[in-house]
Formats: sequence, C-alpha cells, structure tokens
Amino acid sequence: MTAPQPRKAAKKPKDLMSRIPAGFVRAVLRGHSSLGLAFAALIYLICLSGSLAVFAHEFQRWESATAPQVTEVAPAAVQTAFEGAIAKGGPGVEHVYITLPTADFPRLLLYVDADEDREFLADGAGRIVPGKDFAWTEFITRLHINLHLPRSWGGFLVGLIGVALLSSLISGILAHPRIFRDAFHLRLGGSKRLQEADLHNRFGVWALPFHIIISLTGAFLGLTTIIVGVLGMAMFNGDVDKVYALFIPAPPVDDPRPAPVLDLRPMYAKLPQDGGRLTYIFTEHPTEMGGAALFNVEQPDRMAGVDSYAFRRDATIYNEGKASDNNLGEDLLGGMGQVHFGWFGGGIVKIVYFLLGLGLTYLAASGVNIWLARRRDKGRPAPGWERAWAATVWGQPAGMAAAAVAGLVTGGAEIAIAAWLAVSLIFLALAIRLSADRVAWLGRLATGVLTLAAAATHLALRGGLTTADPMAWIVNLTLIAGGALLLLRRFGKGRRAAAPVAAVPA
Amino acid sequence: MEDSSALLPALLIVVAAGAGSWLLRRSWQSRDRKTGFVPGGWLLLVAATILPAWALGPVRGPFIALALVSAAALVVVASNYTIRQAKARAARESLAPEPSDRATTKGRETLRWLLAGPIGMVAAMGVGIAYAALVPGAQQTRLVVGGLIVPVAWGACMAWTLADNRILRATAVLVGVALVSFTAAIMKGFA
Repeated sequence: MTAPQPRKAAKKPKDLMSRIPAGFVRAVLRGHSSLGLAFAALIYLICLSGSLAVFAHEFQRWESATAPQVTEVAPAAVQTAFEGAIAKGGPGVEHVYITLPTADFPRLLLYVDADEDREFLADGAGRIVPGKDFAWTEFITRLHINLHLPRSWGGFLVGLIGVALLSSLISGILAHPRIFRDAFHLRLGGSKRLQEADLHNRFGVWALPFHIIISLTGAFLGLTTIIVGVLGMAMFNGDVDKVYALFIPAPPVDDPRPAPVLDLRPMYAKLPQDGGRLTYIFTEHPTEMGGAALFNVEQPDRMAGVDSYAFRRDATIYNEGKASDNNLGEDLLGGMGQVHFGWFGGGIVKIVYFLLGLGLTYLAASGVNIWLARRRDKGRPAPGWERAWAATVWGQPAGMAAAAVAGLVTGGAEIAIAAWLAVSLIFLALAIRLSADRVAWLGRLATGVLTLAAAATHLALRGGLTTADPMAWIVNLTLIAGGALLLLRRFGKGRRAAAPVAAVPA
Repeated sequence: MEDSSALLPALLIVVAAGAGSWLLRRSWQSRDRKTGFVPGGWLLLVAATILPAWALGPVRGPFIALALVSAAALVVVASNYTIRQAKARAARESLAPEPSDRATTKGRETLRWLLAGPIGMVAAMGVGIAYAALVPGAQQTRLVVGGLIVPVAWGACMAWTLADNRILRATAVLVGVALVSFTAAIMKGFA
C-alpha cells in the first residue's frame, strides 16, 4: 500500500513574459547592456538636448524679448517686410521663407537664402527691426538634429542613435520578464543599484509609448536622407528627386530674367476663407520673372499636413493641395516633426514632453549607473568609467548653460558651440584627477551657477524688466528656479553629509 | 482659426488616466483578480486615450492623450513609492537576472557589431524598400511606411544580433534577407 500523495497546490498559470527562458533573457540582457554602454553618451546628449528643443519657440521668444510682439499681420505689412528683407539680404537672393505669427510664436520672421543667409524680424507694420539673435535656440536645436556635425553625417548619426534607442527598448522589454508584473513597484533607498533599477524600469515601462514614438520618428527623420538615397538608387536609377517629387509640389518653370520683388498681396486675396490659418510663405526666386510663392494654411485641430497653394508671379495658382485629401503616407510624413517635438497640443503637451524627455534622458544615465553599480557590487569597480560618466552626465547640462550665457552675450551660435565644447572638455579633464562624486558635485554647482547666470545675462542684455513678452519672464523665472534648486540640493546634500550618520540596520 | 485649447480636455485625460492607473494599482496591490479593478482600470486608460479624438482632432487628440496618460500613470506610480531599508549585503538581495557571460573572440565581436550596424542596416533597408515596391497602395504611403519599417527592422536586428550566441546563423539570415528583399524590389520596380 502506498501512502497517498499530497495534493499539489494548483499552479497559477504563468504570464507570457514569465515563459521566456532564462538563458534567452540573460543573452538579451547582455545585448541590451552592450548597446546601452556603446551609445549611452550620445543617447544622453540627444535626449537632453531634445527635451530642451521642445521649447524652441519659447527660447526664440526669450532671445528676441526686445522685438515687437506681433499677433496679427496684414498682407500689406507682410509685403513691406518681404521687400525690406530682400533689400537688406544682399545679392544672390534665391529664396525667402516667411514665418507668420502664431499664438506660441508672436513674431514675423523672415529668412533670406542669398549669397550670405540672413534672418530678420519685422514689426506689425512690416518694418525690419533688430533683435533676431537666436544663438542659443540655434545651438540647442542643431545639437539635437545633427550634433553640430555636417548636416548629412550628423543627421545620420542621430538617426542611428534613434535606432539604437529603439533597439534598447525592444531588448529592454525582452530582458526584463517581470517588467509588467512589477509595473507599480517603486522602491527607493537601500542599494543604489536596486533603486536605479526600479526607477529605470518604471520609467521604461510607463512611458513606453512615448519612448517608441520619439525614437521611431527621430530615427526616421535622421535616416531620411540615406533611406531616400538608397530608394532612389534601387527604384529610380539613382534619381532621388523623383522620390521627393512625390511629396513636394512641382517647382515653377525657371525664368531667370530680373523682375521686381514678387507681390504677395494678390495671392493673399485668392486664399480661401475656410477657417484655416496662414502660417508660412515660401518664395522661390522672388526677384526673377520665374518667381513663385507657396502658401501653407493650417486647418484647426489637424495635426498632419497643411493646405498648400502655389502661385506664379502673376498670382495664378499652378498647384493646390488640400490636407484633407492627403493619403496616409502624406499624413504620416506631415505630422512626423510635430509628433517628435511635441508641437501639437500647446503648452501642456510641451511641458509633458519635456518631463518625459528628461525621463528618457534619465533612462540613458541610469542604465550606465546600474552597470557601474553592478560592477562595484561584484567587487570589480570601474572608477575610471565612473568618473568619465559623471563628467558626461554633469558636463553636458553645464555646457548647455554655458552656451546660453555665451549666446546671449555674443549673439553668435559659433561662440555658443565653443562654450559648450570647452565646458564639456573641462569636465572630462577634471575626471582624470577628481573622483566621480566630486565631479558630480562640481557639475551640479556649475550647472546651477551658469543657469542663474543665463537668466541674469538675459535681464541685463535682452530687455531686462521692461520686456513686453511674458514668455521672457516665464523662461527667466524657470531658469532662476531651476538654478536655485540645483544649488539648494547641492548645499542640502553637503549639510546632510556633515551631519552624524544615523544608525542603519545591517 | 487656432487649434482647440487642450487645457480642459487635458485635465479630464489626466483625471481619467490617473483613476485608471490607480485602479490597476489597487488590483496589483491586492492581488485579487476577481475584482473589477483591472477591466475598469484598462477601460479608463483606453477611454482617456481614444475619446479626446472628438474634442481635439482625430489624430491630435489621441497623441495628446498618449503623452498625458504616460505622465499621469508615472505620477500614480511615483506617489506610491516605498522606502527600502539598506542592507549590508545588498548585492545578494537582487533576484534580477544577470547578463550572460558568453565566451567570445575579437573576430566574433567585430562580426557581431557589423551585423548590428551596417549589415543590419542594409537588411532593414531591403525590407523597407521591398515593402514599398511589393505592397499595394498609394505610392506615398508605401514609401513612408517602408521608411518607418527601416528603423524598426534595424532596431530588431540590433537587439537580436547582439544577443544571439549563434552568430553565423544571424549572418546567414541577415545576408539572405538583404539579397532576397533587394532582388525582389528591383525586379518588381516601383509603380
């Protein structure tokens, strides 16, 4: 007789993620770790600059705080500004791009593509006015878009980083079978590695839709040139213009005979009054007989695409496109930039994009922190890498704040780039001698001081307390609060470190 | 005319998403699957994502909601943090898996990164271009969707090749995919 077998407790069915074999998880984790470490610094830099670039229009307003606020502009004023910009733009004018005032950018901005490219601001009457130095905005957006490298190479590198980020998201999910089961577990304190891991995984999982959108659109935008190039080679016998022609209205017939400046007013009169908002005018060869103008009209609540009206010199329409007639591909392409930068839902979405962008930046930083802490826990610390990583994490915000100060003082984007580069290199040099903690301490101090210096410089040089644009006040107050917070946290930490250490259970 | 203000709908989205996340958290905390917390939580999250389409535009609304829902859920998670006590032997506390410690050579690592980088890129481009050439639909749609496939396929290649221990298999697959997809796309042409 055999003893009765004890009844086994009914097993809870495993969820899908838990069925992933342990060996596979460890292999994917290895790939996740390798990829993260290889690209961490660039991912961090691009995410940090991208988080700030969300506020590009607000920074432009901050930098041009002395310029007149323009909320509405009449066609005659646009024509005056257009002619004024061409007169001041110098010889060889090929194109003029006119950005019309909107709620989040109340400026009339004209960009003249001539022998030497120039940018102008105009007032509500169309008079060209000073105050168009956008050095910091130029610095931060170009850093994000092409890392200040030659455009095609820089764009490709940024696209590659987008792919690496996307790949990290895929491997990150596969490498953490408990990531969904532990989605609400946030445990702070204890070992640094476990705290960082909890934060890393919670940010990773709850902001996953945002991370996928940002990395996918960023990779697409960065890789467009090479994708179109390969597509042109494979499908159109190397003629990439045929690819672009599918998305852009046909250019006007070329006629280089000189002519008076294009008259935009009769074109304005032919725009339909359908509730749309004219946001942009692109003029081609405005001082030639073959001159033409393309008007972009945005329809309210439409995220992707614009209605476009292309006029010849005599104000006859030669191409007309309605966004509502777009196919899916045109809509996807038309909305890609807005989705990537968060420019579609007003201030609230920009703030959320900024915070989620900082979360993504933290994800890149904490990934390396976890790796460094794991090495330390295992008795194989990497102090050199710890120092270098601290210099990267804190050297970048300090460098960007230095660029803001330099840009405000000189008005030159090149000087802003030089300041950023110099501070970044100084921090890397400091990392040769100083400990990681000391580098981080200095970085926090430098970022705080330079952020406050940026606000002070703005108040001293760009309108001071008399500026009419409330955005300048908001940006300055944010900078002061951010800088003060960094410094207070630094001193707070210093005080805590000086206090006697409380007993900690072993 | 300006876009509709997102402020009030955003508030509603945040409240709905916060409530949905809270219900899911309640369920997670109690481990009681019989309650209606899980369907209720998901229902609120889905509603918070989809319903703004009517108020803020069919595409604009859900995209605004996606960003806000993530943020609201993170606030719920962050507001329920717990403090973990420091332990002297914290390293042994973790049950998390460790990365594999596979034996490798310089040549294999070089090949692995070539697969994750340029070879993966070529294979991914092949897939994207084959999609543009072979799948029916409007030309622009095929091109843009094909273009979006490239980073996704390349990212997947990276994740796979950096993880897979059988590196020759990965090489064969990627080279095969690149050859087949480009050949098929070029033979079909773009029309």
